[in-house]
Amino acid sequence: MTLRAKLGYTAAALTMLVALLTPFLLMGIFSKGFAALGLHVDEMYSGGPKVRTVQNGAYSIAIHRPVYPHMLQNEKPFVQLDWSPVSALPAHVSDLVDVDGDGQPDIRVSFDVPNNPKAPLHVNVEPLNPRYEAMRNAGKEKYSRLIVRVDDAILVRVPLANP
Amino acid sequence: MATNARLPRLAPAPPRSIVRSLLLTLPIAVWSLLMFFHPGTHTDPKSRIAAAMTALFMTALFFMMMRTGKTYRWRRWFFVTLGILFPVGFIYNMVIARGTMGIPIEEMIAGRTPFCFMPIPLLILPAALTKTLVFPGSILSSGRGIAAMVGLWLAITLVLGKGWCAYACFFGGIEEGMAAVPSRAKIRKIDPRWRYGPWAVLLAMVLLSLALFEPAYCMWLCPFKAVSEYVAARNTVGLVQNGIFVLLFAALVITLPLLTRKRTQCSFFCPFGAFQSLFNKISIFEVKIDQTRCKSCTVCQTACPNMSLSKESIARGETLLTCMKCGACVDACPRQAAVWHIKGTELAWKPERARLMFLYSAWALAVMFGGSIIAQGLVTILHFLA
Repeated sequence: MTLRAKLGYTAAALTMLVALLTPFLLMGIFSKGFAALGLHVDEMYSGGPKVRTVQNGAYSIAIHRPVYPHMLQNEKPFVQLDWSPVSALPAHVSDLVDVDGDGQPDIRVSFDVPNNPKAPLHVNVEPLNPRYEAMRNAGKEKYSRLIVRVDDAILVRVPLANP
Repeated sequence: MATNARLPRLAPAPPRSIVRSLLLTLPIAVWSLLMFFHPGTHTDPKSRIAAAMTALFMTALFFMMMRTGKTYRWRRWFFVTLGILFPVGFIYNMVIARGTMGIPIEEMIAGRTPFCFMPIPLLILPAALTKTLVFPGSILSSGRGIAAMVGLWLAITLVLGKGWCAYACFFGGIEEGMAAVPSRAKIRKIDPRWRYGPWAVLLAMVLLSLALFEPAYCMWLCPFKAVSEYVAARNTVGLVQNGIFVLLFAALVITLPLLTRKRTQCSFFCPFGAFQSLFNKISIFEVKIDQTRCKSCTVCQTACPNMSLSKESIARGETLLTCMKCGACVDACPRQAAVWHIKGTELAWKPERARLMFLYSAWALAVMFGGSIIAQGLVTILHFLA
């Protein structure tokens, strides 16, 4: 048997070993290795990292970092605000929110909180700062302009006006 | 075309004895028990029954492979079952979890879109350039996270290369089943240039995914959205997307396989399959054509469900890069010229040893991955029967 053939059979035997180790070891190692690459899900989906939380009585408003679209993404830049927990929200929410943290309110956000968690939501956003766009009775048209309920939070994404 | 009727047919190898076949099957039987009955699994009788049925099914198919020496014929039973039962279990779970097969925007924002292997090639460029994954899922989430699927795909790919498409893909079984329905192909002459289709789709989808920062194939072209999950049609664009999914499924997965007896979605369209072909270069197992036996009858070319053989490649004694190691050509060759082969070894020297080494690896992974999906589908059926 030639050296090449011996190497071939050795590689084939190692391949069988890889197959046997896959469910017990390799799958986990590869998954953890992938997770350790430091990748993150596109912020157009995730909403970007939270930068501040404002307490408002029994509920809080989490303010995310503004998200800007990549290349040809057909969305506007936006900022995401999370109201939670839903159980602590009044039947009608109307809050002034200081989005950029300069001590001045930037937008007024108003929406109804239906008891039925599957009921459609609609939001009005009145900009007090020209950096933000108005929203009138908006539902979930686009990633950059929506109100949705996710688990125990109501998420509002307010589009940023073009500079 | 095929003139094999006039060719001297070599006597097929006699079937292995039952005892020897059983002995060769024993490792797979033990592996199946290990995979389906390890401690902590199956809290209810339905899942125990489904696990037992699946373990028995996978072991029985492997036994038949050992006994008859045929690979494709028995692998196809597994693969078609996988293709049929995957949507059964998956759709049921989706409907239970969210009441619909459509993915609402809330689920995408929450990162709860199940990640399948199809978008893997589409994620590479955006991830490399911006460290961003353009998929509305979670990197770490139990079972359906992106990291879990990437880890599984990487391990299986190291072993099988393009063999993923014949032993692990949970979509291909539907069209393989459709291709098996007619006894003769209505369309026999297929322009070989169609083979470039998957590469063209791959290139277009990779560039489009980078430009649009979305998994373009999943959003616009995946035929299997029709039997798994789709973008909830909340506007005209969503309706168009879903219309495309259904049309592509009807054409590429149902109609064309019935007319051509080929896996047409895989052969002409699937960008993941094209991407996966590249990994055949690192896989140690392959199928070769023994030129000392081959009479160029092209029976293997006709039998190949993936158009991975051409007259030129047969003359070179090779399959094309897209060969998924399903074994159809090896089973069909009347002169045993198509053989399993381990790279580096002599071609005609103990091809059955190469086949066994490949099959143990491939079937172990098929039991682990495809078997668990089959069991899930069976649990769903048992749930409805009960």
